[in-house]
Parts: sequence; C-alpha cells; structure tokens
Amino acid sequence: MSLSRRGFIASAGAGVALGAAVGAGAQAYADSSEPVDAVDLSTSYDFYTGSHQVGIATPPQRHCIFMTFDLVAGATSKDLQVLLATWSAAIAQLQAGRTVGQMEPISLSAVATDTGEAYGLSTAGLTVTVGLGPGVFDKRLGLAAHRPKLLAPLPALPSESLDPKLTGGDLSVQACADDPQVVYHAIRDLARLGRGVVEVGWTVMGFGRASAGAEQSTPRNLMGYKDGTRNVSTEAQRAEFVWVDDDAAWAAGGTYQVARKIQMDIEIWDSATMQTQHEVFGRTKVAGAPLTGTREFDTPDFHATAGGKPIIDPDSHVALASPENNRGLRILRRGYNFTDGLNEAGQLDAGLLFIAYMNTPEAFIRLQTKMGRSDKLNEYITHVGSGVFFVPPAPKPGHYLAEQLFG
Amino acid sequence: MSRLLPSFALATVGVLSLAACGGSATTTDSKSSHIKVTLTSSGDCTYSATSVPAGPITFDISNTGAPGLSEFEVMTGERIIGERENVAPGLPAATFTLTLDGGAYTLYCPGANTEKTTLTVTGKAAAKASGSAADLLAQGAAEYQTYVQAQVDGMVTAVGRLHEAVESGDLAAAQRAYGEARPFYEKIESDVEGFLLPGAAAGDNAANLDYLIDMRASNLDPAVGWTGFHAVERDLFEKKAITEQTKTYAHDLDTNVQKLATVAKTLTFKPEDLANGAAGLLEEVQKNKVTGEEEAFSHLDLVDLASNVEGAQQAFEALKPGLAKINPTLSTQIDQRFGRVQSLLDSLRSRTAIGGYVTYTATVRAAEADRISQAVQALQDPLSQIAEKVATA
Repeated sequence: MSLSRRGFIASAGAGVALGAAVGAGAQAYADSSEPVDAVDLSTSYDFYTGSHQVGIATPPQRHCIFMTFDLVAGATSKDLQVLLATWSAAIAQLQAGRTVGQMEPISLSAVATDTGEAYGLSTAGLTVTVGLGPGVFDKRLGLAAHRPKLLAPLPALPSESLDPKLTGGDLSVQACADDPQVVYHAIRDLARLGRGVVEVGWTVMGFGRASAGAEQSTPRNLMGYKDGTRNVSTEAQRAEFVWVDDDAAWAAGGTYQVARKIQMDIEIWDSATMQTQHEVFGRTKVAGAPLTGTREFDTPDFHATAGGKPIIDPDSHVALASPENNRGLRILRRGYNFTDGLNEAGQLDAGLLFIAYMNTPEAFIRLQTKMGRSDKLNEYITHVGSGVFFVPPAPKPGHYLAEQLFG
Repeated sequence: MSRLLPSFALATVGVLSLAACGGSATTTDSKSSHIKVTLTSSGDCTYSATSVPAGPITFDISNTGAPGLSEFEVMTGERIIGERENVAPGLPAATFTLTLDGGAYTLYCPGANTEKTTLTVTGKAAAKASGSAADLLAQGAAEYQTYVQAQVDGMVTAVGRLHEAVESGDLAAAQRAYGEARPFYEKIESDVEGFLLPGAAAGDNAANLDYLIDMRASNLDPAVGWTGFHAVERDLFEKKAITEQTKTYAHDLDTNVQKLATVAKTLTFKPEDLANGAAGLLEEVQKNKVTGEEEAFSHLDLVDLASNVEGAQQAFEALKPGLAKINPTLSTQIDQRFGRVQSLLDSLRSRTAIGGYVTYTATVRAAEADRISQAVQALQDPLSQIAEKVATA
C-alpha cells in the first residue's frame, strides 16, 4: 500500500497512543508489537474486479452504513435489472472518487444527478457491497430458478427479539470508507437512484470498525473488549469459509451475508464488575488475552482448570465462538459499532452492527443457535435486527452485478 | 484528468423500464437514416455518422463500458428534442427516432470527453411532423390556465359555503364545509404562492394572499396575526366552538379568496411554470402534509395531500403530449408513479370521513407516512426533471 502525504493519517487505534496519554499505569498493558493502525485516505478500490465484490476481504474501514431496500409492489425483473446496472455504474464511479453524474448541470432548470457532498474529498477506501435477499428469488420477479441454493430467511434463533421494522430486505447495500461523508454520499446517491423501484428498509450507521482485517490491530467493541482476534483473515481461510464455489454458475465467487443489529445494554454493562466482564468474554480487557494466557494472540486453553473449575467459562463468549468448540467452523466477521442517540427510556441506544460473510448461512445459524442459548453475553445484548443476503461476484468491465440472472 | 472532476454523467435519477432501452420507441421505416451512438469505456461518445439527409433519423445508443456515461440527447439550439437515459454498461441498446429537417443539430453526451458534436442534416424532410413539442407544450399551458381558473371559481363557491355555515353557527356543517373547501386551494397552491395584493411590498405578509389564506400556526407572523383557513380550522376542530371571532375569520377568508380570484384572472403560465408548480406541490406533500403539520387541528392532511397530488398530476397531464415527444420514457415513468401514489391514496379513502379520506391521526401517520413519503419521492424525482425539458422547448 502506498501512502500519500495528503491522505495519510497515522493513529494508534488501541494501546499505543492511549497508553502514552493515560500514563505509566496504563502503559504497562500496551503491547508495543501491535501494528500501528493507519488510514490512507487516498486508497481506492476497483469495482470491476470480475471476481469477489470488495468490502468483504477488504480491511475494514473506519465507517460504514448498512442499508436494506425492498422492491416496491409491482416491480419487475426488468426494473431490478436496470437498477443493478445503474447501481453498478454508479458504484464504479463512487469508488473511483468521481461524481455519479453532473453535480452542477449547465442548464439551470435541470436537476443535479450527483448530490455533491463528497466532491473534493479523497476516495477514503470506499467500498460498496450489494447483496440480494431471498425476496428477489420469490415468485414476484420470475427469478426463482436462479435462487442461490442456500438463500432463505434465517430461522428463529434463541435469545433474539427482532423488531419487524429492522428485519429482512430484498437488497442490501454495505458502504464503508474511512471518511463518514464519503460513506453517506454513496448511500444517499444509491438510494436516490433506486427510488421508484425499491424503498428504503432498515439502516444502521456504523462507526469505529469492530473487526480487524489483515495488518490491522484488533479493535474494541463498545463494551471495551477486543472483538475478532480470531477472525478469518487469510485468502486460504476465505477460500474455505467464505467464497461460494458449488452453487449456480452465476453465483461462483459470491458469498452469503448475514447482518444483525445487536443492541447493547450499555449502562448495565458499565456497572458489571471486572470479574463479571472477564468471565463473560473469557478474555482480559486491556490486553485482550484469553484468561488462560497473557497476550492477545495466545491460544485459549479451554481445558485448563483452577480449583476444579474451568478458567475460561464454557459459556463465555470466546469459548462458545471458538473454532475449537465448533468443529473448526469460522465466519468472516466485519462488524461496526453503532449509536442512535438515546432510546425511549433515556438509555444510550448503541451496540454492534454485526455483518458476517460465509459460504453457507448454516454457519451463522449453528453458531448463533449455540450462543443464543447460553452465551453469558446474552444478559447484556439483544439481537434486534436481522437480514440474510447473497452477495454476487463483482462484474467485469462493461457488465453489471448479477447480470447473468437476466439472460 | 483529475479523478475528482465531475466529468462523467451517469444518467438521471429515474430507473426506466427496459422496454424504453430496447428500441420500441418510435416509428422507423426503411427510408430512415441510422446513427449508431456508442459510449465507450474511455469516456468517448462516438457516432457512425454526423451528416445525414433530412427525414426520420434513428439513433441507436449503446454503452460498451463507460460507467460514467449513460445519457444521450439531441438538441436544436438549447432545446432538447430527443433523449435516452440510463443506458448503463451491459444493458441493451436504446433507440429513438426523430424526424429532422435540414439544419445543424447538437448531439450531446453529458460528461463525455467531448460532450457536444454537431449533426448536419441536409435537404428537407419529406413531411413535417405535425404538432411540435413546443406547440403541444404551449397548448398544454393554455389548458392548464383553464384548469386553475375552474379551481379558483370552485374555491370561491366552497369558501362562500363555509362562511355561511360558520355564520349559521352549525358546527358540523361548518366542519364539513371546511373539508370541502380545502381541496380547491391545495390543488393550485403552488401557483398562487407569493401572490401579493396590488401595491404591496415584497415580504409584507399582511398583503400576501397566500399568507392571509393559508398560514399555519407554525409559521405565524406575529405582526400580522392569525387569520385564514387554519384559524377557522382551529376553532372548528380544536375548540369545537363557533364564536364571533370565528365568524370574523370566516368573513375575512371569504373576502381574501375573492381577492385571489380577481388576481388569478391575470395569471398566465409558461410550460416550465407547470413543471415547477407540479414539483412544488409534491414538495408541499413532503414538507407539510406527510408530517401532519398542515391540518394540525382537523387532521385532514390526507385530503390536502391528495389534492396536492391531483394538482400536480393535472399540471403534468397538460405537459404530457409535448413531453412525450421529447422523452416518452420519462413521461411513461411519471405516469406509472402517479398511478402508484394514487393507489396508495385510494387505499386510505373513507366514505364517511370529512373530505373523503381517513383522519390523519398519529396512528395512521405512524403506519402510512413512510410508504406515502417514499412513493411521493419516487414520483418527485422524475417530475423534477421536466422543467429542464420544457423550459426551452
């Protein structure tokens, strides 16, 4: 990655800068081997890769908006076809840092085709990732024969309390970048291009990545804990767990996307003792080390006991989610923190925008069935939003997303 | 070229049906000339010919891979006489035919490396197409004037009845009469906006008929005070009482509406006034009606909303024959979206409610506002593009 002078922002996401500011006591925890978490605002990603869409394996950027869309009553497959072609062209422009159309038309009686708020800003590593929900392949559009074979609404899962207004969706758009204005512009203009064919469904505005990509330090969720230490991070792992290769020809190189809006009971968590918090995650807070180790990347020892009891509680988050305890199962997590201000009870309305990619939704269903039953974290979180989508592969130049559906 | 230059134009907001892209558009015959227009991945617009004999000329537009280009227009002077939008890479070619007489025309590819190219048409077209877009638009504007006049006449009568009902002290009759009078104003409110009494200074609300007739509590000018439809509304629906003050309000409203009728006789409209007026009415829907702000006491917002939509549709209908010549796809799309908004509104009709629509309570608003808002915005987007097409026609 080349770093331009203009766009380079070096910052220590976690320990380094914080330790210096807080003083010697905190510094003792800082791990000097942790990678510096840098942001290069001049990064840009090509849309026409012809293989996977970007925004999946791409190292998570700092900001993200996830928006779902529903087809309007009476929308046809042609409407969807034109929408996907138009979106594809627009996303290619946006990721290249260009306007989607004329920001200031010559004719004063014309309406602008780009809203303009990202003009003059750097590309900021924008990625836009589009997914197709199960509804696209129901009877409405005549596309049922093309349905990715594992795409179906998620079953009811334990410990969820879904709000119907935050559930489902015929299309999903995940826009991420290191500049929130760039993210907003992308979402706004794509929503605008979709009007009349799709209506906006549920939306989560994420900030502060809550998952790490390659070369990135592990970020913290709003509970202050490192999240995603053992995330899928290599191409070999993605080949095994993420990319679809045994589905319809048009779907090869795609992946399934599960999105969940997870509410955190912030205030309750804040008054939980350190011991409770450690027990819930199975890790320490500052270092992020498993309770059986001292450093973040120490492998957890789920067999270790003290006083006859397991050191890492079998119902801790790390124990339930670990590949060791799930027959090697992994999913690529790409989460973001979110906040929507205050809820009706005057509490902080905040939590985790959980987005995960996998080559079978069954992977999420298995993990969440298990965690929903007994995760100690359930006392502090609620899954309120949910959607599942198939993310088609990226198109080649001169083509558009999911073009083969409309042959 | 800087990557930040807004030099690529992705076609406009609307998402069109493929039928429009697929070449079903207009008449072609064996004698017509064909010009192939290609939007290339390098950002060029290339043409198979830039000089053709007069007569029907068919443009076949294909996009071989320019994500930033998907629009093509033919212009004479500043007039757009034919265009296709949303020719995104990968979609089938778009086609349209124009009958052109001898002369110079401009081929316009917004955002291309070379945006404008001259098309030379030689000789004379065999038969001139009757009814140019400009003629049809002017005719439509004249017809719309008649429509506005009819609404104003209806308003004078309906407000007169409201005045009578208030004078008689019959609360139920006055409430009904209020609901019956509102639509006349709401169908044409974008046209009377800002109409001042003769000799009035700009910004003087005391001489602004729109203010005097339709001001809401939320934008009250303390220097002028409370008068008009909504003052009557408050008494009839919130206080549920007719006082001497209510009678004064109704009397003043009657007087001001009659003054408006006099002013309205002098109104003339250009095609772009219709376009802007239609878009303005939909803005009203989004800003004041969907929110329930307009009829804060009577909750008749859906009556106003339906009237705004009807007024916008009437303005559009007047432009449609001309617009259909310039951009039939856009015209069809707007038609369809009016249809969708209309069917949404139809689902909210009530035979028994004042004004014919269900009362826009907080519960109804919570259930419907989102749907209405999205459907209206989906209509507003293409509708807001009309002004450009008709302004110079």
